[in-house]
Amino acid sequence: MLKFMRNKVVGIERRDEDTLQAYGVLDDDIYAVELGVSLGLSDMVIRSIEGRFKRWTTPECPKAIPVLQQAVGFCALEEGFSQKVQKNIGRKGCRHFANLLVECCSAAEQAARLIRGVKLEKIPTESPDPQGRAQERSERLAKRELAQATETHARDGAGFFIDLHVHTAPASPCSVVRVDDVILEAKRIGLDGICLTDHNYVWSKAMVDQLAREHDFLILRGNEITTDQGDMLVFGLEKEIRGIIKLDDLRSLVSETEGFIIAAHPFRGFLLFGSGQLGLTPEKAMERSLFKLVDAVEVLNSKVTEKENHFASQVAKSMGLGGTGGSDAHQVSEVGLCATRFFAKITSEKDLIDALRGRRYEAVAFKKRRDGF
Amino acid sequence: MPHILFFSRNRSTSVEHIDESLVRACCRLQDTLMDAVVEILVRLPDLELAEVRAEVFRSERVIPPDAMEDLRKAIGTRIGPGLLKIMKGLVGNREDSRELVNMLEECCQGVILSFTKDALAKAPEDGEKAKAYYTGLVKENVRLYDSCIAFAPDSPLVQGIEPPKRSREG
Repeated sequence: MLKFMRNKVVGIERRDEDTLQAYGVLDDDIYAVELGVSLGLSDMVIRSIEGRFKRWTTPECPKAIPVLQQAVGFCALEEGFSQKVQKNIGRKGCRHFANLLVECCSAAEQAARLIRGVKLEKIPTESPDPQGRAQERSERLAKRELAQATETHARDGAGFFIDLHVHTAPASPCSVVRVDDVILEAKRIGLDGICLTDHNYVWSKAMVDQLAREHDFLILRGNEITTDQGDMLVFGLEKEIRGIIKLDDLRSLVSETEGFIIAAHPFRGFLLFGSGQLGLTPEKAMERSLFKLVDAVEVLNSKVTEKENHFASQVAKSMGLGGTGGSDAHQVSEVGLCATRFFAKITSEKDLIDALRGRRYEAVAFKKRRDGF
Repeated sequence: MPHILFFSRNRSTSVEHIDESLVRACCRLQDTLMDAVVEILVRLPDLELAEVRAEVFRSERVIPPDAMEDLRKAIGTRIGPGLLKIMKGLVGNREDSRELVNMLEECCQGVILSFTKDALAKAPEDGEKAKAYYTGLVKENVRLYDSCIAFAPDSPLVQGIEPPKRSREG
């Protein structure tokens, strides 16, 4: 017997020389929604949208209809269009509307291909260049240094505190904080160092050394690499990995360079009601092959729930793996929410890897600990 | 201009819970340019992709056999956050297999929604009781907070729930 079914129907009509009209219906076991979308044939820009709920769940759902207007002006050919719709229409409104809007625009794109007899090209977005614009960065830094006074903080207990998981913009497209701001915040709250772990991005040693000198602060290099088994924090690997790599292959590369792999947020959940139905236990989770290929597990990450962190901690302990902490900061206020306390001073990337290998560390909720919670 | 459709598309995704440890999902796409099916088997409780199969019955664009074979690279990954990024990375974002990857994603979404359906079906009819029920669901999985307008920070359904942004020592 079927447990769930979703049907989507989309029709594209050419209203005039430069207008495509899409009409779409999404009907599944949970929701039924309709959309009428008008797009320019020459530019594939959304000109108008009308939406309607036929069936919905919560009493708040109908408020998603006006949110649809935020997509007027979006270009269906823009690189990342689907993600943009999910973010602006799905997250702020309704995910089912977002799904159907992407479907309508995809169908319109195909119709345009037929009409024009040519393939429409995606519009590329700017690629990140965090290591350029040094002059601009230095000027901004000087102004910021003047504006922010460094505070001193009493910390609970000895140790050397490093946030092992930090993202900066534009190296990580998902981050909104520039590297100088991360460093200033890390200093302000009393961390001893940070690791730059941008997504599939390797900072140059020269650039990081320059930042360390300018800020008089410990800055280390890492990398968050997406594998077929999820995200991994990698230290000691200079090679830039593009795209997705198999964890087996990453393990081989990191072993060759005597680096270190930490499974990042291994139990980060997703948008699921009644996730308890799945019946995942630490014992079953331990059977995952990934835990045989990593050196440690991130057991404190500020982006996941307490339950997920606790689950990761249980699995790491049972597997005999060390547990690290990192904020996974994507904005200034998140820097240092979680960190790793090392039992001795770290001064270099080699020190870091040696300490990680020697299991001379523990995960801490740094800001809470600092604030005495 | 006469109101004749220039392009039409039907996409149907179905999910079957075979037993306590296996779920099958199937996405069938039929449109003016293409007719194809993608089927997956998902192992519980990890939501791990155990099998992926694709077949193209008709396509205006030539779909090379290796594009369908490439989909099988997703076997072993788990349905969860970042799955689409992982799938695109493993399978590639090539134009000729883009639709097959979309169909694979639809199958995965269907699997998640098949579990969501059970929880939503238990919502009470009564307004206040329903509100309390939805609030409880968000408390159970706080990641739902601010995930859509129903659970936006100013929604009555999440009143009293702390936003999921603080670190917690486990």
